[in-house]
Amino acid sequence: MSTHIERPRYQCALGGALVTINAIERAVAIVHSAPGCAASADGAATVGGGYWGTTLTDGRATPSTNLIEREVIFGGEERLAEQIAATIDVVDADLYAVITGCMTDIIGDDVRAVVSEFRKQGKPVIVAETGGFKGDSTVGADFIWESIISQYLSKTAVKDPLKVNLFGFVPAQDVFWRGNLLELKRLLARLGVTANTFLTPFDKIEDLKGAADASLNIVFSDVHGVKPAKLFEELHGTPFVVEPLPIGPTAAEAFLRRTVERLNLPQELLDTVLAEEKAHYYGFVSPFTDLFVDQDFQRFGVVVGNANYSYAVTRFIADDLGWIPYFVAVTDLLNEEQQAKVLKRFSDIDETLRPKVIFETDTDRITERLKEELAREEDPYGTPISPAYVIGSNLDRPLAAEIKAGFFGISYPITNRIVTDQYYVGFRGGLRLITDVVSALVANR
Amino acid sequence: MGLKDDKIVPGREERVLACMAHGGCASGMGKQDKVCLKNNERSFSQAGLCQLLPTLGMLLTLPETAVVVHGAIGCGSTGFGMNTAIRLHHLLRGNPNAKDSLWFCTNLDESDVVHGGEQRLEETILTVAEKYAPKSIIVLQTCTPSIIGDDLVGVIEKVRPQIDIPLLYSHCEGFKTKVWATGYDVAFYAIVHGFIEKDKEGPPKRKAPRKPEDRPVVNVINLASMGKPDEIELERLLNALGIDVVIGPNFADRETVRRMTQADLTVSVCPTHDDYLVDYLHKEYGIPFVLKDMPIGLANTRSWLLDIARHFGLEEKALKLVEEEEAKARRAVERYLPALKGVRVFLSAGEFRAVVTGGLFQELGMEIVGLRSYHHDDFGTEFYQQLVAAQKGKDFPVDIANFQPFELVNLLKKVDPDLFCGHVYDNGWAAKLGYPTITIFRIFDHYVGYRGFYEVAKKAVRNLRNSAFNKKLSQNVGEAYRPDWYAKSPFAYIKSDAVEPLPDPATAAA
Repeated sequence: MSTHIERPRYQCALGGALVTINAIERAVAIVHSAPGCAASADGAATVGGGYWGTTLTDGRATPSTNLIEREVIFGGEERLAEQIAATIDVVDADLYAVITGCMTDIIGDDVRAVVSEFRKQGKPVIVAETGGFKGDSTVGADFIWESIISQYLSKTAVKDPLKVNLFGFVPAQDVFWRGNLLELKRLLARLGVTANTFLTPFDKIEDLKGAADASLNIVFSDVHGVKPAKLFEELHGTPFVVEPLPIGPTAAEAFLRRTVERLNLPQELLDTVLAEEKAHYYGFVSPFTDLFVDQDFQRFGVVVGNANYSYAVTRFIADDLGWIPYFVAVTDLLNEEQQAKVLKRFSDIDETLRPKVIFETDTDRITERLKEELAREEDPYGTPISPAYVIGSNLDRPLAAEIKAGFFGISYPITNRIVTDQYYVGFRGGLRLITDVVSALVANR
Repeated sequence: MGLKDDKIVPGREERVLACMAHGGCASGMGKQDKVCLKNNERSFSQAGLCQLLPTLGMLLTLPETAVVVHGAIGCGSTGFGMNTAIRLHHLLRGNPNAKDSLWFCTNLDESDVVHGGEQRLEETILTVAEKYAPKSIIVLQTCTPSIIGDDLVGVIEKVRPQIDIPLLYSHCEGFKTKVWATGYDVAFYAIVHGFIEKDKEGPPKRKAPRKPEDRPVVNVINLASMGKPDEIELERLLNALGIDVVIGPNFADRETVRRMTQADLTVSVCPTHDDYLVDYLHKEYGIPFVLKDMPIGLANTRSWLLDIARHFGLEEKALKLVEEEEAKARRAVERYLPALKGVRVFLSAGEFRAVVTGGLFQELGMEIVGLRSYHHDDFGTEFYQQLVAAQKGKDFPVDIANFQPFELVNLLKKVDPDLFCGHVYDNGWAAKLGYPTITIFRIFDHYVGYRGFYEVAKKAVRNLRNSAFNKKLSQNVGEAYRPDWYAKSPFAYIKSDAVEPLPDPATAAA
């Protein structure tokens, strides 16, 4: 049973499917719904995603049937067929993905039947029923991936032992998805592994079509992208593993070691890569040690983010920054099973540094729960967790101000800077994160 | 019917025969069969907006209000697009403690779609009232609860006696209208019914007629697109005539909105935006109105001021003010005129904005070579004729479209303007084609009155002086559409509905 949400930090299922298609070059969405859905979902995702913005076929250029009352009463299938045919005529793309909104799912348009007529003619059209009420962005992203996997990918018997697919990223939900994917690709390439990333502006749609020849799928999330990966294995035989997002040198090293073992890669190569990447990180971090230790930049950490980032950032601040994780709010809409998976991750953290983890969608309730937590401890002179630091979204700035904590924005929504190729995964991502986080502490000098 | 008695706000294609799909030329505007025009559709269309966005955009400006979006999550998350802009609006108005807006989503899921969402809505309103103590609560009903039959008004009237604060509501389902400008009417409806008609103190009484010695008070209906700088300019001009100004309902609190019922005159800044509210104030409170001008450009500002002054016998004073201000403005723009002479401009915005800004550019010696307006209704017709006449009969293509960038880029490639002046989210398409662009409104800049006349000229010259960003961009972006799209007419996908025009009442009765 759901309840109301204060300022949701995601879009609906349609929105998640939409941003996924929008991030794939040469793929275009055809939104079958009322007029506002495409532009609104796109607007919310792109503005809150560091002003991601529009490419050529999204934003207000997203093909959309714009259904109104007449079609609600009489059905919109004819309009959809007209729109698909016209889109193929006008828009130059290699994949046309029909996705639906609340309305069309409720009135029961048989969109699959309409699309199958086009598929019979060999047109590259796929369909996913992504009515907004079915869930949040991550649910819609899962739906569209399932459709891509079952309706678009070519079948192949041959697997490439050095090729992997990277999943678990929802554009804008991970504000840094492009930079993150590019860095993961680069790191894996250093080990001789080709990683398909699909969602950056430089990916080729041919790699998506041929993705079934990967010998392993890596899902960088305990809860998002897992269902499609299971389907992928069922239909195309590629197994999958779940990995936490590897932010910082400690997590990145662990990730690379596990990968080397899974794919049977040469140990010497791993050793060289690890040595060079760590040298890069510490080459820059070591010199500013004076600042870091003299100014006592250790902090009690409060982390607010989705399932992927909340754990990944907590690990980084504990393992690499030497901070004390105090309180974590996971803002995704998760069912009990998913919450259990996320909590299990956190139980990997040593007891002495394990934070209190809550699942909370509402910004104001997060503040309330944190204050409840603080009230449990005695501190006759001030806040028990001073000095504190909040790593969250722009909506969490007031919380940071209230507890007089430092602040850096890493979770959706981010509106106070633009995001292009910034990234936080890997060794170099960790370097960027420590740079950004500590810079905020000297910003008033 | 009207704002007071309408149970549901009628879609603008019904109320004012608004059309959002038409391609033609300026000289032909207004000559089409209105019924056919409003029924036009597209066989290929791209994302439009729905009523929810303009409604939400206006209602989120009301200070210390909490908005409840009744629907699935998606509709509830659109607030982000507006949140930042509204917070900046508040900062511009001198409120350094401007906070993020507060909005909620009732988060209807699959189970609610089956069982109905009324109970969730009721709980949400009561929880928000108790926990957040806002100054008012606004409820927006979206597509999903509407289709499953949630009775919004039933829930509202059940909850109203249980809470102390004003409760505003709006039906703004996307599928109810093709013309999203209906959302403005929906916002006015919510504000009037929430703060006036259904207010706990009831509607204010009608004021006694103004005595000649009283300072006249004029309502200026503001737009979400008009920022503080523009409001300051209008206030300055009206104050100079001895007229006091009440600006609302955007950014206005309950008291200010109620004060609007006590004014001596209502003035619109954009006729197509405001007629629904203006008509209410006239019918219920006898307040006369001026609903024909948008004070952009010298001629339009002159008629706007004179039309207002006429009501209070202040014409002579106004004429003197206008002469002074025009002289100053003309002197100021002189240095920019050489750079603007003969510059060919394409405009794109809501109906009125696009058309009157065209007039401003003509006053600067520029030529209009194309125009895209988001919808068309009769408020705009004569302005098209005026624009053509002002450039010695030189006609230009007009695209009436709820965005549809595919039509815009096709038309731009054919028209090849020197400058593009558009709404936010329009300019990017022109920029990617390499054209210099300026935004047709921004809340941080001046666009109305005499200051606006000068600042727009200055802005245009500045952007024309160096458009390297756009030019280099155009050399490095790809193409969305197939090459043969550009060989076709930009209006190739507009089709007229098969519905017959209404029979003539005389023949029907016979």
